[in-house]
Amino acid sequence: MKKELKFVVNGNPYDIWVEPNTLLVQVLRDELGLRGTHRACDSGTCCACTVNLDGMAVKSCSILALQANGREILTIEGMANGAELHPIQQAFIDNWAFQCGFCTSGQIMASNALLKENPNPTREEVQLQMDGHLCRCTGYNMINEAIRDAAGRLQAQKSQEKTK
Amino acid sequence: MAISYRCPCCRKITSDPYDLARHYLGQTNKKHKDWLKTQGLSYAQLITWQVTEFGNKGYDALAEVLEKGAPKVED
Amino acid sequence: MSEYSIIGKPTTNVDGAAKVSGEAVYTFDMTLPNMLYGKLLRSPHPHARIISIDTSEAEKLPGVKAVITGKDTPGGRYGLWRRFPELCDQEVLATTKVRFIGDPVAAVAAVSEAIAENALDFINVEYELLPAVFEPLDAIKDDAPLVHDDCDNNINNTRHIEWGDVDEGFKNSDYIREDRFIYSSQHPAPTEVHNSLASYDKGNGRLTVWSSTQSPYYLQLGLADGLKMREGDIRVIKPHVGGGFGGKNSTMPDSVNAAVLSMKTGRPVKIVFNREEEFTCTEHRTAMHLAVKIGLKKDGTIMAKEFKLITDGGAYTALGATTLYLTGTYATFPYKIPSYRYDGVRTYTNKMWATSVRNFGGTEAIYASETQLDRAAHDLGIDPIEIRRKNAMTPGYEAPGQYNVGSCGLLPSIDKVEERIKEKWTDLSKDEGVGFTLFAYMCGGIFNWIDTPYAFSGAMVKVNIDGTVDLFTQGSDIGQGTNTVNVMICAEELGIGIEDIRLHPADTATTPVDLGAWASRETMMNGNAVKDAASNVKKKLIEVARMKLGENIVYDLEVKDKRIFLALRPERGFSYYDIVKDAIKLNDGEPILGVGHYTPHRKGMVSPAWSFGSMAIRVKVDRETGLVEVKDVIVAHDCGQPINPLGVRGQVEGSVHLGLGWGLCEDLPTDNGLILNPSFADYKIFRTRDMPQIELHEVPTYEPGGPFGAKESAEGAVAPTSPAIANAIYNVTGATFDSNVLKPEKVLKAIREKEGKEN
Repeated sequence: MKKELKFVVNGNPYDIWVEPNTLLVQVLRDELGLRGTHRACDSGTCCACTVNLDGMAVKSCSILALQANGREILTIEGMANGAELHPIQQAFIDNWAFQCGFCTSGQIMASNALLKENPNPTREEVQLQMDGHLCRCTGYNMINEAIRDAAGRLQAQKSQEKTK
Repeated sequence: MAISYRCPCCRKITSDPYDLARHYLGQTNKKHKDWLKTQGLSYAQLITWQVTEFGNKGYDALAEVLEKGAPKVED
Repeated sequence: MSEYSIIGKPTTNVDGAAKVSGEAVYTFDMTLPNMLYGKLLRSPHPHARIISIDTSEAEKLPGVKAVITGKDTPGGRYGLWRRFPELCDQEVLATTKVRFIGDPVAAVAAVSEAIAENALDFINVEYELLPAVFEPLDAIKDDAPLVHDDCDNNINNTRHIEWGDVDEGFKNSDYIREDRFIYSSQHPAPTEVHNSLASYDKGNGRLTVWSSTQSPYYLQLGLADGLKMREGDIRVIKPHVGGGFGGKNSTMPDSVNAAVLSMKTGRPVKIVFNREEEFTCTEHRTAMHLAVKIGLKKDGTIMAKEFKLITDGGAYTALGATTLYLTGTYATFPYKIPSYRYDGVRTYTNKMWATSVRNFGGTEAIYASETQLDRAAHDLGIDPIEIRRKNAMTPGYEAPGQYNVGSCGLLPSIDKVEERIKEKWTDLSKDEGVGFTLFAYMCGGIFNWIDTPYAFSGAMVKVNIDGTVDLFTQGSDIGQGTNTVNVMICAEELGIGIEDIRLHPADTATTPVDLGAWASRETMMNGNAVKDAASNVKKKLIEVARMKLGENIVYDLEVKDKRIFLALRPERGFSYYDIVKDAIKLNDGEPILGVGHYTPHRKGMVSPAWSFGSMAIRVKVDRETGLVEVKDVIVAHDCGQPINPLGVRGQVEGSVHLGLGWGLCEDLPTDNGLILNPSFADYKIFRTRDMPQIELHEVPTYEPGGPFGAKESAEGAVAPTSPAIANAIYNVTGATFDSNVLKPEKVLKAIREKEGKEN
């Protein structure tokens, strides 16, 4: 029997009805059409499906949709500000931090949570936080550099806003 | 007058029995394999020798048989 | 040669904004109106005859729209070695028997994935179990069960390569050694699983298939053969692909069954493998037994080499026969070997079939060669770097009757890595060691076992009135950056900007044939076709400019920075945009079109060019646990003229990552044909914490046959990684290994055995 799910996704409120066993990733992709969050393993072992739930990086294949009731979700589609890419997204582009791109949404969303918690991480700290993310293409180092580059850009952005 | 050898099962002609053996063992169709049986050889045995032992046992054995049994062509 | 405007400059990915925004569309993300979902019923047995299949119960289930078995398919057989019909051994669905655990026997289309999945349980298959064979040497025996009833002794393919007089070479050697190795399989494990969406047009009988494929053309051929349709009535479109690594070259059951189900239901059908199917029922690296014999003079000069190979092909051919050829070729790389003899056999076994994975043939052969060479160097008292330097290929080298080497930066790459080892790794502890290895890789294959009548790659360029360009080419970007490379090449050739070009890639209906992304062929072959097409447009523009200038024909014109001008007097020229307008007016209003193609000629039998490099890996060995930690990697790499340094670095790092995994932890153990670790939890892949930093040095050379001098980048760098680790462990502990995947228990055992021998 379906149950009511009221939550906010990328700043938009939703009120829908879902089966209790529906995963969050299924609701995002199949109900809301937000296909930027990908599924690669369905066993919580690769982090490709990572989104932010109340600011935390979570694997959306490992959470029931109803667990997001009353919460706020941010997906890759919510990162850009209109046509302006988020500094993390731009840093990924500038550092060639993706190749096939299939794990990239998850990497970016995890980076978003990471940098809010630790605005100036070292290489090792990034490795520790991102260790669950499987990437088959890049060998990870360029992603690590992108995340630290993004940290710098976000710090600069913050300083600029302070001086305004 | 030089002698060449024709493959018993197709149109390949060469003056060197070893070269003919090389050609022959590259053919995996039934016709080629069946002719080997008529000569008391097994395709599988020749290949097994060739891929499990250093040396050229498979080709050498086949070259010897082809030198005797393959139709001759006068150049 | 003037400095390039775009080639060689770090350039961000032309698909970048889409990929970081979640807007890049993969087949995985696609739906069509009225779409059904398909699932495959797979054999639980490695070898069995199909006695009967009853689909009646499944057909009755609400939401199920079609259930098919082998008899409902057009009955065509397909494969990738189309020159040899007996090697086109695959069917859409098994008709008489199943040959591996996972061989599909039926397919269901339903209104939801869950209903389709559930319906599989309602299909009743009666099997007669048959004895199965799992090891190649067992498969060859006269009394072995036959995987394919018409293939005696399960011998799928053989290969022999020979030059010089090997026996004479061994006679003249001062030192001879023989080593045997087992190279075990790994899985490409792309993040996007195999999946296809097929849509049949009921009006004109044509089929469109979107698929996560490395080669739209190969898929088009496989579908045409399997479905007994004209190629031209099948359109294959490759959206973005979430990785391939060699495992997506073949026509796989998702595509052909989606097609048949769509033809039957009249609705689009999508089939998506789950991760378990991905691991157990898609292509993986060919496992092999390798025996290598080498003869050297006491000064380390290689005199002769003999290589014997037995490969475990699995149940079907696909590209597996190519692996046999390439492994035998790579066993000679990258050294000058005066005499060589190779014999290889590929056998059928009752397992999921094995073919290409990144650096196919090379990874296996170079593991054996490079490990053996270190042991020989040790016995001869020669430095491992020196022995390699002594025998290294040089520009213009030819292996008689087999392949030519054009540009070759191998010697400078050796010097570079050696220099950096001496500068950087001065503080090795007693548990740390260095392994040094060389590598080389092809830029696509010259062979044409696919039997195509087309040029190996084609491209079309259309220039519009406002100077914007539409570039049509089938080159497959599967993450390696081919789209960006192609746009860069086109822009450089026309003297315009990347922002002026829109790429239309990988659609068999709108782009000329390209054979696909395998054996690292795209930059050399597809890049050359793009350059050719652009140069044909350039000629037309130059003609118009020359007419307007009124200069003598002997004076050259150049294109650069959106101008077309006299090379000797650059200030005399025109804006590209103005010439485009003039050219279109002069051509009766037709847009300017350029068509180009590339097929290698007079380049030997294997590949038109080769990349080269050296690698050193520093490891730390824990003698108590056998755990090997990779501390640092230095690579010097020759890819000719790098087109995009960002992309080149990405390829090197990605290759090293794969190679490290294949050397230390990625493994596909099987038990009676069943793969035992079909998930990311159990199939161990290097994660970010396992990765060391990689110091990369480019050794620029210029390959005359490559687009702007470019060659393939970094697929070669997969191969040297695992032997470098093995060699490093050897240097620390003296322990040797006759297999790859150096897990802690194996390393510990080898160390203890070595210690035991010494005591």
